[in-house]
Parts: sequence; C-alpha cells; structure tokens
Amino acid sequence: MTFRMKAAVAAAATLLAGAALAAPAVHIVLIDGMQFIPQTLEVKPGDTVIWRNKDPFPHNVTADAKGGPASPAIAAEASWKFTAEKRGSYPYVCTLHRMMKGTLVVK
Amino acid sequence: MNILTNKLALAAAAAAFSLTALAQSAPDDAQIAGIVVAANTVDIEAGKLAQSMTKNAQVKAFAEQMVTDHSGVNKQAVALVTKLKVTPAESDLSKSLKQGGNDNLAKLKTLKGKEFDKAYVDHEVAYHQAVIDALDKTLIPNAKNAELKETLVKVRPAFVAHLEHAKHIAASLK
Repeated sequence: MTFRMKAAVAAAATLLAGAALAAPAVHIVLIDGMQFIPQTLEVKPGDTVIWRNKDPFPHNVTADAKGGPASPAIAAEASWKFTAEKRGSYPYVCTLHRMMKGTLVVK
Repeated sequence: MNILTNKLALAAAAAAFSLTALAQSAPDDAQIAGIVVAANTVDIEAGKLAQSMTKNAQVKAFAEQMVTDHSGVNKQAVALVTKLKVTPAESDLSKSLKQGGNDNLAKLKTLKGKEFDKAYVDHEVAYHQAVIDALDKTLIPNAKNAELKETLVKVRPAFVAHLEHAKHIAASLK
C-alpha cells in the first residue's frame, strides 16, 4: 500500500469513526450453509448486529463471555438483533451445531 | 452393546448402504430429490418415536432437534423441486433408506429405557454417516441442477454436526 493510499484509508476510517459516533451502525451477519458470514465482525459500542438465518432450520448465537450475544433459537428465515455495549472479544457458537463458530469484537 | 459389536454394526450398516449405492446407476435429479426426502423422513420418524419414548433429557433434546432440522431440510427440498418442476422419484437408494428406517423403527419399538436410548443414538450415528457418504459419493457428484447441487452442499455440514452430536451422546451413554 502506498503512503497516499494509507492516508486515504486512514481518512476514510476517521470519517467512518465520525459517522459511528454520530449514529450507531447496523451490521448484518448472515447464517448460511452452516456458517456465520462474516465469521469475525468488528463493531463499536452502541452498534447493532443482526444475525439473519438463511438456513432451513434454527440456529442460535451463544457467547460464553458475559456481555456477549446470547440468542434464543433463531428460526429459518428469521433474524435476531443484538446491541453491542461492552467492549471485548466475544467468541460464540451455535450450541445446536457446535462446529459453527464466530467472533464479535466490540472495540 | 459393547464397543466392538457397536463398531461392527456401524461397519455393516455403512457397507450395506454403500453397496446399494454402488449397485445403482447414477441417480437423476428426480431420484436425488426422492432420496433426500426419504433420508430426512426416515430421521424425522425415528426422532418422533424417540421424543415419545426417551426419559433422557439429552436424547430428547437431540431427537427434537433432528425432527426440526430434518423437517426444515425437507421443506426446503420440496420447495426447490416444486420450483424446478421436478417430481421426487423412487430409486433403489430411496427404497433401501425407507426399508432401513422401517426396520429401525420396528427394532426400537421393542426396546425401553437405556436400551432404547443406546439403540436410537447408535443408529443415528450410523444413519448420519451413511447419508454423508451418499451425499459425497452419489448425490452431490450426480446432481445436474446447480441449485439442487448447492442445496446438497449447504446442508452437508448439518449432517456432519448431527453426526458429531450423536457420537458425543453415544459416548456419554456407555
């Protein structure tokens, strides 16, 4: 990456950060083909994360750590919303299909 | 059932299944749809029986999940074949799955308590392994329609998760 590109990225990030301060962002995590997409998502405190289940059967989003997402079963084609509050890294699984793993980073 | 006979039963079930699969010529999409529906239906029926029979909370939760997940896959499969105007067709593999399912139900109905739980869960291990083998060797390679193939690829990890879950419960029932 050239210096100019880095500067542009930094400027864009600053703008984004500014926007995030102004209004909390909404992020989507797709649950599709037994995967959380994206697998790792970084958000800011106050942001909302929506998990949208595209699989034909229920999943859940269950973090071990307190303050992380802990959903009920999310039915096929349904969504579940979580507002990130506490900073931290929250690895989570679907307890119904434990091979399904994701991480929500609040920073 | 001890570990050796358990393993032998698994091997026998897997062998019977793959022999049937090999004996059959490559299934077309209508037959693949029939196999998918049969495979899910067999596990839904076993799950419903287990829900009503078991006293073990872990087995009950697993059985409930099997009914829910496999009903979901069936609903999706039926919606897809309806859209594609394909009628699920019988084949040797779909017939052998149904026969295996009926034999399993008949056997399970003679058992109670821990014996029932073990037999149900052991069969779930063998069944899911057999379906994964069928997906890998027969169904996914032969699916012609791209959406049908994609659906099979996407549900495969669910069968793997169920297999691991069933193995985990089987180990705890020993």
